[in-house]
Amino acid sequence: MTTTQQSPAPPTTAPTTPMSRRVLGLLGNQQVMLLIVWLAMIVLFTSLNKIFFSVGVAGNVLADWGPVVLIALGETFVVITGGIDLSVGATVTLSGVLAAYAMKDMTANGSGQTITLLVGVLVCVIVGGIVGLINAFLINKARLVPFIATLATLGAAGGMAIVLTGGAPIGEGPPSAITLSVPWLGPFSTPILIVFVIVVILWLFLHKARFGRYTYAIGSNSFAARAAGINVQRHITKVYVLSGALAGLAGMFFYLRLGSGAPTSGKGMELNAIAAVVIGGAALSGGVGRITGTVLGAFVLTTVTSGLIIIGVNPNWNQVVVAVLIAVAAAVQSLRPQDGRSS
Amino acid sequence: MTRSDAPIYEVRNISKHYGAVVALEDVSLQLYAGEVLGLVGDNGAGKSTLVKCLSGAHQPTHGEILLDGVARHWSSPHEALEAGIETLYQESGLAPHLSVSANVFLGRELLKPGLLGRMGFLSQKAMDSQAHADLERVGIAVPSSGRSVSQLSGGQRQAVAIGRAVAWAKKVIILDEPTNHLGARQAGEVLQVVKAAKEQGLGVIFISHTLPHVLQVTDRVVVLRLGKVVRDAPTSEFDADSLLGTITGLITNA
Repeated sequence: MTTTQQSPAPPTTAPTTPMSRRVLGLLGNQQVMLLIVWLAMIVLFTSLNKIFFSVGVAGNVLADWGPVVLIALGETFVVITGGIDLSVGATVTLSGVLAAYAMKDMTANGSGQTITLLVGVLVCVIVGGIVGLINAFLINKARLVPFIATLATLGAAGGMAIVLTGGAPIGEGPPSAITLSVPWLGPFSTPILIVFVIVVILWLFLHKARFGRYTYAIGSNSFAARAAGINVQRHITKVYVLSGALAGLAGMFFYLRLGSGAPTSGKGMELNAIAAVVIGGAALSGGVGRITGTVLGAFVLTTVTSGLIIIGVNPNWNQVVVAVLIAVAAAVQSLRPQDGRSS
Repeated sequence: MTRSDAPIYEVRNISKHYGAVVALEDVSLQLYAGEVLGLVGDNGAGKSTLVKCLSGAHQPTHGEILLDGVARHWSSPHEALEAGIETLYQESGLAPHLSVSANVFLGRELLKPGLLGRMGFLSQKAMDSQAHADLERVGIAVPSSGRSVSQLSGGQRQAVAIGRAVAWAKKVIILDEPTNHLGARQAGEVLQVVKAAKEQGLGVIFISHTLPHVLQVTDRVVVLRLGKVVRDAPTSEFDADSLLGTITGLITNA
């Protein structure tokens, strides 16, 4: 048996009462801790500057959170399988740029705005899906480790975006694109509401459906998964395609926000996404991670970034603070006994 | 004992070559329903290769595999599983991050009825209760089937892994070193499960280096040496010394 990453808890110990055990369990739950940390941050930033607690700022935090969480959700599935997807940032860029070209053409040809935007979404998802397929091919067939495979596609996709655009953003799409990103329901815009729907769907698929069960099984013990008759390669393919498609959607998100497809829009996004996933409690060794953790992790990340700006800290400190958050989250993770139940 | 006349699982003259290396040469063996067949041999004798051929993980270079008298060609372990042959690999074990019931049902998840099920939604409650019942049936008491496997002791894990295989096996169960790394009491429990599987009428192939366990639980022993079968005889014809001698080659065909 592979007994590398779990500390066996003999059933003979811990004659704790159910009540105290429940309290301990709650505090040991990384999601609950994360929620407390997040709420504490909101209180802290608000006490330093009242403006922080406003619909306007909440709208900004959500607008930052949307693309980060989209990418991080896909990354969560990848990380639970024990892999990593570094190509997501470049996928954001490339899909945004290609969709921008498509939408520019359609607008020039007088197509309706709604259909143009839908085609944009479709292009983004397909481009992202193709990058995911290439990743899966490199991992399954060329037998590259995920880090190297997705590092290669990171370079290729990012480079292609710059070659295609010559470095300039591609605009002249449907004028309604930018208005779509404006919040209309309190701090919520239409894309953000769609992101929440996606969160719920992916939560169901990871925690309540067979798709998630296989995802955990592969990351937990791929040999056991294979022996149980699971087609591991096919599942890995699905997971990387999902990650790519979600990164593609994030590309559309940026397009809507900027009104153009910029060859730099997704730069470094993979690190934010991985940070959100790790802060959310997933283990890069596989088998552990939760959608709620990733969602909260992305909130913590974007709240800190916005909060520091609002309280007047030089934004260059952002990266340092994010780095500290990752380190703390990873340390908490390694102290905790491994118990990544899937439901 | 329900030993029948025709073997339930049989290999005839199989060989397996890896390039120039001959891992198995002209190996034949028969397994009967309700029988525990011990498979022993030194490291490199070809046990693992034979297990992989029997479980569908590898395809023999020559020779035939017959299940219920019908020649079969496994192109994957999945095919062998579907045909009723369960294999517990020594290195596979369980997925520690998943619950006991998730492990018992891994790859064969019960889905919710109707549309939700077709979308792949799991029927967790049904799996929890049925996993508990399945394990109990083969004599394994696990505190809670909703518990994560990482919280179980090594012996409990192995018991769950074997219980899973016995619960699913329709015809044959192949156990590769099932008592490895276990204490005496836990190994005893595992041997009990092996006996339960036999009483259910399964054919059991028991691979082990622990010769006392082999002598204790098997009906017949096949000794492999350098890729060949050097002895195939009832367990009653062996004692610890003669079995060890046959494995190491000190005793040649008594």
